[in-house]
Amino acid sequence: VDERLERYAELVVKVGANVQPGQEVFLFPSVEHKDLARALTRQSYRAGAAYVHILYNDAHVRRAMIELGPDEALTYSPEWQKSYVSSIAGNAMIATTGNPEPDLLADLDGERVGRAVPQEIVQIRIKQMGENTVNWTGVGAPSEGWATQVYGEPDVERLWEEVAFCMRLDEPDPPAAWREHLDRLAERSTQLNNLRADAVRYRGPGTDLTVGLLPKAFWMGGAGDTASGIRYVANMPTEEVFTSPDARRVEGTIRATQPFPLVGQVVRGLELTFEGGRAVKVEAETGADLVRSHFATLENADRLGELALVTKESRVGQTGTLFYDVLFDENATCHIAYGAGFPFVVDGDPGEGLNVAHTHVDFMVGGPELEVDLVLTDGTEVPLIRNEEWQLA
Amino acid sequence: VSANGDRLERYAELAVRVGGNVQPGQEVFVYGLVEHADLVRALTRQAYRAGASYVNVEYDDQHIKRAMIEFGPDEALTYSPEWQKALTQGMSGNALLATTGNPEPELLADLDGDRVGRAIPLEVAELRRAQHRAQSVNWCGIGGPTAGWARQVLGEPDVERLWELVAFCFRLDEPDPVAAWREHLDRLDARSAALTERRPDALRYRGPGTDFTVGLLPSAHWGSARFRTAGGIDYVANMPTEEIFTTPDPRRAEGTLRSSMPLSLGGQLIRNLQLRFEGGRIVGVEAESGGDVVRSHLATIENADRLGELALVTKESRVGQTGTLFYSTLFDENATCHIAYGAGLPYAFEGEPDEAMNISNIHVDFMVGGPELEVDAVLADGTEVPLIRNEEWQLAT
Repeated sequence: VDERLERYAELVVKVGANVQPGQEVFLFPSVEHKDLARALTRQSYRAGAAYVHILYNDAHVRRAMIELGPDEALTYSPEWQKSYVSSIAGNAMIATTGNPEPDLLADLDGERVGRAVPQEIVQIRIKQMGENTVNWTGVGAPSEGWATQVYGEPDVERLWEEVAFCMRLDEPDPPAAWREHLDRLAERSTQLNNLRADAVRYRGPGTDLTVGLLPKAFWMGGAGDTASGIRYVANMPTEEVFTSPDARRVEGTIRATQPFPLVGQVVRGLELTFEGGRAVKVEAETGADLVRSHFATLENADRLGELALVTKESRVGQTGTLFYDVLFDENATCHIAYGAGFPFVVDGDPGEGLNVAHTHVDFMVGGPELEVDLVLTDGTEVPLIRNEEWQLA
Repeated sequence: VSANGDRLERYAELAVRVGGNVQPGQEVFVYGLVEHADLVRALTRQAYRAGASYVNVEYDDQHIKRAMIEFGPDEALTYSPEWQKALTQGMSGNALLATTGNPEPELLADLDGDRVGRAIPLEVAELRRAQHRAQSVNWCGIGGPTAGWARQVLGEPDVERLWELVAFCFRLDEPDPVAAWREHLDRLDARSAALTERRPDALRYRGPGTDFTVGLLPSAHWGSARFRTAGGIDYVANMPTEEIFTTPDPRRAEGTLRSSMPLSLGGQLIRNLQLRFEGGRIVGVEAESGGDVVRSHLATIENADRLGELALVTKESRVGQTGTLFYSTLFDENATCHIAYGAGLPYAFEGEPDEAMNISNIHVDFMVGGPELEVDAVLADGTEVPLIRNEEWQLAT
């Protein structure tokens, strides 16, 4: 038995998803993540799970569909997969990330790749997220392919060490270390919520963007609670405080500061220009077609769904590693997402300002030169981040 | 594509076109172990090339099953999740391709044999049985070579050697594999027709440790694994297949049967299985190892203690010619004569199965053939007609 793997899985099951005795657990691993999937299954049963469901995902099967399948297959949601996703309500879910072959779809038609979204399944998931009935978490699963992407060689052991560091597995009592860390993030979101700001302003190289905030939306960070009161940590690692903006009020230009993988391709040097809340211009060194295809074919993909603030205390940031994985990289530095907003950050009816879309794509905008300010209702600007440090007392 | 990559694609293409015979516009369901990912991917590609409207892939993982048996609650063992029921129902009218070849055949060997035996999703098994009865799925089971399977078979993880053996059994060495398969199946169908025509009342097996008589059902015929769905799609349910088979009268089985090859079952290896029958039911189980798994089946699964299949295989078998014990039922049952306890085969009937056919949620094949086994057909008047001697077919076709 690989002891680190089991301790990792135990932390994910107990602190991340916080699996309750008698709950069913749903896993969504890639086939390349089978070692972790097996450890998560063992630890879930040990935590008292009634049953552990597993639906392995295979990017090569998806590639075959996009390359060789008929048009209708791209957006098709099989009944059994809808049933799988629907059954998660009231139960626990653990998703794994860390793409073993991030460039696998790179040579395919970007437009078909972008359209390949099982529409009904995405709808079920969005509804589930809104109802907040699932205690869930997403965690990284090191593989040779992912390690090669990160280091240029298949050094899985090194990747495991960095992932374990980001997960605070080096702490004498990792669950206690996580509690402390999550409290710190919750404190930051309280500070932000108390200021009741009207907008956020980003300034930096290639970036000058102002994004409106919704009066009924709040900032969140750290752990969350399901509607029935089960505490969970949706992402491990997590270093962010975040909210969903007023998608109607976005003006200016924002430049991504890191490449990021997107459905089998890597988007490099993304630059988006917004007018009246919509992205009106997409530039990128690679992957621009894919982003444009999202904007053209997925309703409201061209509006923003998330703003997230991260500072240099981040363990992910401290590694100095570009992980080519959103779960990790978005926790290294400040990021923004286009696509769906989060209904759970809004008190009551979200209204029209909260974006509704079938996709949610995070990209990193933070770095030493990025300045982030809160704009209060009276126009006063309050510095939030300078030199990657938190500015609020 | 490398030479081996080409072999993988040709193998998958043959499974899709001759085995499953995937029709344009059909959905295809692929069931494979996570260790079979390369083959599952090739099957997916070939299914789309054959015109599949969508390929549904479900990966199975023995380690997940192990965790359930070892750490899960009792109710988990027989639980059928809604989505798995939906998955099974989705196959009706569509095609199914399943891979076998367990990379870790003894993974469950140290677990409680009773729990291993009970671990069957009952409602899903019932749905599958109904689907078999309705003959609504064109399906095919094939082997998926892995390092673990190669180690079990060859004593070392020589996957390339295992691939060569599997490709030989698959007739991939023939200049025109599709034509070779047609000819091969015609030969098996001629044997089936000759035997069905004699309308035997029973079969008699004699050999070392074996003296056994089993009754036959008048409406059941003998056939090969070349089947036709209710919708009229021809398919080959097992590749390789070397057998002709029928489903017996489960009320009439007497005597003793000794298995002539080890059997990989539920993660354990059953060695030297001996079954004693009285009045159609198994009343005694002996084995060198794995006997508990069989006893658990018989004790907990209804009608597992009655027979569902009789199958005859001779020395022309390509599987038998390899002289290899594959530790996989799909292959080993095609090396030599075998018998199955549990569910009968609706494929043995024109139309509705005989009411007497055994109904059960399990079907376990075990091998009884070998050079010393003599098989005779017992006709209605008591005459015994030799069918197999020295692994050779005796009945004129």
